[in-house]
Amino acid sequence: MNERYKKQAEYNEYLWDGSGKPDSEIRALEQVLEQFRATNLTPPAFPRLDLAPQHSSWWQGISSNGRTLRFTAATLTLAAITIGLLLSLRESPSLPNKSGWSVELTKAQPESPPGVSTPGKKTQLQIGQAFETDSSSKASIAVADIGRLEVEPSTRLRLLQSSQGHKRVALDHGTIQATIWAPPGEFVMDTPSATAVDLGCMYTLRVDESGRGLLHTTLGWVGFQSGGHESFIPAGAAAAIYPRTGPGLPYFEKATDALRTAVAQFDSANDASNDPGSDAVTAQRATAVRIILRAAESRDALTLWHLLPRVSESDRPTVYSRLAALVPPPPGVTREGILRLDRAMLDSWWNTLDLGDIGLWRRFEQGWSGSLAGSGTVRKLAPK
Amino acid sequence: METPAIPHDSDAALVAASQQGDTDAFGQLYQRYVRLVHGVLLARVRSTEVEDLVQDVFLRALPRLRDLRDASRFGSWLATIARNIATDHHRRVQTQPESPTDSADPDEQPMKSSSLGTSSEAAEILECIRSLPEAYSETLILRIVEGMTGPEISARTGLSPGSVRVNLHRGMQQLRQKLTQRESRGAIESKNRTIG
Repeated sequence: MNERYKKQAEYNEYLWDGSGKPDSEIRALEQVLEQFRATNLTPPAFPRLDLAPQHSSWWQGISSNGRTLRFTAATLTLAAITIGLLLSLRESPSLPNKSGWSVELTKAQPESPPGVSTPGKKTQLQIGQAFETDSSSKASIAVADIGRLEVEPSTRLRLLQSSQGHKRVALDHGTIQATIWAPPGEFVMDTPSATAVDLGCMYTLRVDESGRGLLHTTLGWVGFQSGGHESFIPAGAAAAIYPRTGPGLPYFEKATDALRTAVAQFDSANDASNDPGSDAVTAQRATAVRIILRAAESRDALTLWHLLPRVSESDRPTVYSRLAALVPPPPGVTREGILRLDRAMLDSWWNTLDLGDIGLWRRFEQGWSGSLAGSGTVRKLAPK
Repeated sequence: METPAIPHDSDAALVAASQQGDTDAFGQLYQRYVRLVHGVLLARVRSTEVEDLVQDVFLRALPRLRDLRDASRFGSWLATIARNIATDHHRRVQTQPESPTDSADPDEQPMKSSSLGTSSEAAEILECIRSLPEAYSETLILRIVEGMTGPEISARTGLSPGSVRVNLHRGMQQLRQKLTQRESRGAIESKNRTIG
């Protein structure tokens, strides 16, 4: 082998595995591009998702004791009927399977007999049908091919729509952890209280039968809508949900206790179950606003932006001033415009908060208009 | 015939444990594959946006893990998720070329390999790599930026060692040509400025 080829082979080995004689050009590239290398990346807190069916050892325990086996037979039969009823899919059994979603029970009652609600057993949820877990059952639902819903105990939901580009469920009560990897705007969740929005890739929604609840976003961001109220909840933030008035003020979970408490006071004062004109409610609201403004730090611009349209006209200038001090309004956004709640200006200011592009939401809102009115809904927005 | 035991810290064992909900095992997979995911994303999106997307990839992969039938394909499966997330990201965000962190000096001399080093040059070189065919750009970024060796890239991506070698060499060849062209262009522009 002549010198030229020998040298070339050494350079090739350096490119392959770093051995051999370093090629000066490759070395230079390595050095200059090192600044882009993945270093010290901290893994996120991975949620425990009950990925695998949980196989309990209840059957082993029972079968090792003949007396217990006989004693529990009747109970198991009764439980079989109960579980069967709970897991039965109701309302429109004749719809085609292709539009259904796969439901897998991941945790069953300890007394549940084999073959009825065995963990790992799969069934189909069809459009128009309801699914319900009892107080000790959990399930996992494949949202077509775009995501997964982890259904906590005592939860009831209905599948409303599953067409190309539009998937929709109604959460009547209970808790759902949703992980959606579809393009933004494809997945919608109705709740009894808040209307319409699009959500981030990963969030937890809890709601009781009265419509009260909490939405927490883990990844991406979430739009929540009810009547005239819109709330956008980015990762790390949460918002309460109230019957009729819908989504409360979003707040970052790292916010101070003072701010979080004041947000809860403000939301409850606005709750439609109160008399909005009463002196007590007015005073509660005013006190809450004062505390929120005093406690707000730069990250709480999220809360203040949502506060603007929800305070009285007399309180709005103070909220404007505090928000402007934390995040100056961008060019084209005027005090007068914000005080009269000019939507374009509010949207423009939101975009400077760097919590997500509100233009996405507006486009989805148009796309879903007409179908959002009525019950509360949640929709998926893109991760930031 | 006895089935060979799978070491408890093998990728297959960690994937199996993760599929059972063991988040510590998934954390170990994160440590092993974070450079791969980072590199795959860096080949497609701006460096300032990569870190957040890396997290998205792993958080999106976790709940889908049970759908992975063959644990040995974890790396290529994860890389596919990363590519899809990069595509989604482009749909949402108007793509802009990599911009240097420091302002470009109009009088800056054209790049020579001996003078590589400013952020501006680094950003331009990264753009050059991204302009290569995808198979080359991804493999080159894994090797030159992320510091993975060819055998590592092969093991993590599931590509054969031969394919990785070819991608590295052809990619490097094309990159050299692009850098030379860029250098010549820079010299001409510099000369024009001097004449002007």
